[in-house]
This record gives sequence, structure tokens and C-alpha cells, in this order.
Amino acid sequence: MLRLIDIRKSYQVGPTAVDVLKGISLTVEKGELLSIIGPSGSGKSTLMNILGLLEQPSAGTYSVEDTRITYDDDRTLSSLRNKMIGFVFQQYNLLPRLTAVDNVGLPLIYRGISEKEITERSMEYIKKVEMQERFHHKPTELSGGQQQRIAIARALVGNPALILADEPTGALDTHTGQEIMSLFKRLNEEEGITIVVITHDPKIAAQCRRKVELRDGIITG
Amino acid sequence: MIIKANVKEALKSLITAKQRTILALIGIVIGIGSVIGMVSIGTVVQNEALKQFRDMGIDIVSVTKDYERQGSDEGFNIDHIYGLPGYSTLVKKVAPYIVSSTQYSYAGKDLYVELMGVDESFFDLNKLYIREGRLLSDLDRNRFFCIIGAETAEMLQKAGIKDIIGRHFLFGERIYTVVGILKSLPEGGGMRPSGINRGAITHITTAMRAFTTRDITTFMARVGTQDSKAVKAVIENYFSKKAGGLRIRVRTAEELIAQMQKQMQLFTLLLGAIGSIALIVGGIGVMNVMLISVTERRKEIGIRRALGAQRTDIEAQFIIESVTLCFVGGIIGIILGVIISYVFSHFSKWEFLISQSAIILGFCVATAVGVFFGYYPARSASRLDPAAALRE
Repeated sequence: MLRLIDIRKSYQVGPTAVDVLKGISLTVEKGELLSIIGPSGSGKSTLMNILGLLEQPSAGTYSVEDTRITYDDDRTLSSLRNKMIGFVFQQYNLLPRLTAVDNVGLPLIYRGISEKEITERSMEYIKKVEMQERFHHKPTELSGGQQQRIAIARALVGNPALILADEPTGALDTHTGQEIMSLFKRLNEEEGITIVVITHDPKIAAQCRRKVELRDGIITG
Repeated sequence: MIIKANVKEALKSLITAKQRTILALIGIVIGIGSVIGMVSIGTVVQNEALKQFRDMGIDIVSVTKDYERQGSDEGFNIDHIYGLPGYSTLVKKVAPYIVSSTQYSYAGKDLYVELMGVDESFFDLNKLYIREGRLLSDLDRNRFFCIIGAETAEMLQKAGIKDIIGRHFLFGERIYTVVGILKSLPEGGGMRPSGINRGAITHITTAMRAFTTRDITTFMARVGTQDSKAVKAVIENYFSKKAGGLRIRVRTAEELIAQMQKQMQLFTLLLGAIGSIALIVGGIGVMNVMLISVTERRKEIGIRRALGAQRTDIEAQFIIESVTLCFVGGIIGIILGVIISYVFSHFSKWEFLISQSAIILGFCVATAVGVFFGYYPARSASRLDPAAALRE
């Protein structure tokens, strides 16, 4: 479903170019639960941004469902992000002013769906992550684990082909982190959703069916 | 992108940053307030000025001895004036009048009253109506009867004088009997002689006997054409034949209205300039608030972009926020402007009007300021690199 061929990314820092990704080739099949593990500075966040169409690689090709991404049209990229990809972040990244339902509904707002339908679908997905007691709570009124569940509902609500989770358990205690991982596994097994988890924690990586190790901008295993 | 949701969002975010919002609002409120205030006052003034012409019609001219070219020589001969309608069919009716050069007081009290001498047609031309008693007619020739203006009557009542009609008053060395009280008249406009409300009126023949100055310097006339040039020519012609040395000035209603409109334009322009400066200052305030808002919400912008917001969605979100801010400022400003013009007309004793066009203008200007000064911040928000914004 996702195909990276010889992806390179370098940043210009002052006069010198820093190579962050030095030729990544990777294929992710539909229905996979994949972890990308690596220490900080290994380039995994950059890789996640490229996978999530938030950054453009310096070289190489990236195809999503056999369509090569061209990066010349922001409109198309935004629309692909909206329909194909659901993001889960380490810091949850919920909007503090909005209630759980409104936060979950955000991706749908950009599709021009009616307000009523957005609310219905948001509630449906909040039920799916077992947060139906917290429909109208704001993020500050929720615990870290609860916020991450809402964030996962937000990632799922648009029915994307891929969930990209960047250190989803990084801000949670072990027990809550484990709950989130269980939720991912359940979604992957029961609904066949493709999930890519980026982490530095081997225990998290070990729970995924496939593991890719990243070190100094190249895949080592 | 749903506008309703966006407006709700905008209001929430503006309420969250109260202090900043209020500061930006002050600028907009003052700007819109002064624009609305000025347009409303303009409307009130114009209405007041034109009221006289609506009342009297625009077929009235006023003919004055031209002091600039004439000096203090004699005025009009009353028989010449009365001969004018017979000379030209363009002139329908004439009404000469004189005003006493001295003011009169009553019973040692400081009740200053100016006395005018007029004839019967004067009341018709100036549309003067009686409130109590009766008007003067040409049967009151040489008789010491007078009618008084509305304010004069009020003044006398305040001084404790009741039953004014039938009373005798000493003006100068003559005793006049009051036979009527006039209805109150709107002030201003330039055609009707000023001070009727605060004066007293007797017959012109009486006045010519009693007054120390007997010169007639002005008369009014009703004319039968809209062509002010023709009217001027006829009247000037007539007087150069009858009284060769007499220089006159003819002022038509048309001229007065044109002159007034010119003054109004100047007034509007001046206040408009002040209002615009206030609006620009207010607009810069809005832009500043919006720029801060964009900076503070870089992360939010990154999140929204990651979730699939187009650049135009982000742009729309911030422009709607800026327009919402200006719209709220606009509403308060319009209320303020209307209050200003109300206070202004109250103290000027003018009839208060709410100008609908001013209110519509206010909303349009507020929206325009919002769009104009919100555009740059909104655009810079939409150009943020989503990955960089998310890293914040």
C-alpha cells in the first residue's frame, strides 16, 4: 500500500547540509501493524513526516496505493492527508478549546459534511474507543490516556487507509500505554486497519507484527 | 468548510483572549463610531436645513440691498416693491419687511425682543401659522398690534406673565397690543428671516412710523418659474429702471440649497477623513491582534493542516475571525455613533434621525476592515509549513 524507494532527506543547517535520511526503501502492505524503532536522532520523525505527507523528501519516490506523490500541489496533498491518513501524536495534539466530539470531528469539517452527520460519526468513533462517557469534555478535563483515545478516534473518524502513530505511548505510564497498544492491536485485527507505530521503546515495538529498525538515517533491520 | 462552525470557533478564540480582543475592539469601535456619528449628524443637519424648503417651497427668492456695493444709502422704496408683480408675471407675490435696529425690554426685566414689520403676504410666503389669537392682516395698517414668536411667549411665561394675548407691551416709546402667538419654527436654512421665534411682529406700516430706521433692505417674493437666471434678470432690470443707483442681490432657493450642499460636502469630507484615520488605526490594531493570534496558534494550524485542512481553509478561518472581531466592533461602533448623533441633535434642538444608510455603511466598512486587515495574517497562517508548525 505504501512504497518508499530510496528516500533521502537533508536539511540545510547554516552552510552545511545535514543528511537525515540516507536512502530508505520500505514497503508497507495493507492490514499490517508495523513498528519503526530507532533512538532519537535516527531520523524516525522525519520518516514519519514523509509518510504523513507533511514533508517532501529531497530525493526518492513515495507511492501511496500505486499513485506516486508529486508534491507540486498543496491542495492534493491536503486532501490525501485528510482522506488517507490518520495521525496519532505523542502529545495527543487535541485542540484545547474544543470538546471531545468537536475534536474528533475536525477531519470531517474539511470534507464539507453536514454538522449533524459530523457529530453522529464523531460519537460513533468515540464509542469505538470506549470514551462515550466523555463526549462533551474538553481535553484538560481528561487524563493522558483518555486524551490519546480521543486522538485515536479523531485519526479513525475519516476512515483512513493508514494510521500513523508517532510515539503514541511516549507520554503515558506503562499500564495506560499498554491499553493504547491493545487498542491498536484490536483495531488492526478486527478492522484490518493499517497501522505504523513509530517508537524508541523496544517493548512497544515487540508487540507489532513487523519491526523496522532505523539508525542514522538507514534501515538496519 | 462550514461558516457557522468557523464563526463559533472565532468567537470562542476571541473570548479566550479577552484583553487583546478588547484592545482591538476599542480601535474599531472608535473608527466605526466616528464614521457613523458623522454620517448621522450630516443627515440630521441636512434634514434640518432642507426642512425650511420643504415647508416654504423652493419658489421663494430673497432680494437684498447689496451692502458691499451700495454702502448705507437708502433701501427699497415700498411702492417699487409692490409694483414688481405688475411688471412681470414671473413674480407672483412680494413681501417686504423691516427689522428694528434696537432691541426692546419689558418692565425693566431683561427680555430682549426684536421687532419686525411685515405685511400680510409675509405670513403666507414664510408659512407662519398662529398658535393662539390671530394673525395680522393688511387691515392692521398703522395700528399698534403685534404678534409674538413661540420662544418670546415662553420667555414671557417664564417671567410670570400669563394671558399674553390682549396684553399691552411697551416697545421703545410705543405701546403694542399682543393679538397672537406664532407656532414654533425650525431654525436655519437661510431663506426665512432668522429670529422670528424670538421676536415680535407688527404691520410694516406701523413699523415705518415707529422705527428710527425706516429703510427696507430686504423683501421676499414668490416666483412662477424654476429658472433662477430669468428671475434674477427680471428683478434687476426692474430696479435699475425704477431706482437707477440701487444695487441688489437676488438669492434663490436653488442657490441656497447648492451652497448648503457644498458646505455639507466639506463637512462630510472633513469628518470622513477623521473617521478614516481612526479606522486605519483600528484596522492596524486588528491586524496586530490577528498576527499574535496566528503566532500563538501555530501548533493548532499544524494540527489542522495534518488533519487535512487546505490553505484556503486556514485562510478562511482567520479572515472569519478578523471579520467577526470587526463586526462586533462595528455593532458597538454603530450604537456609539447613533448615540453621538442623538446627543448632538438633542443639544442643537434638531430633529433626531437614524440614518439607515449610515448603519448599512457601518456594517460594510466593518466587514471591509476585517477582510483587509485580516488578509495578511490569515495568509501568513496558511503559508506555515505544517511539519514545522507541529514541532512547536
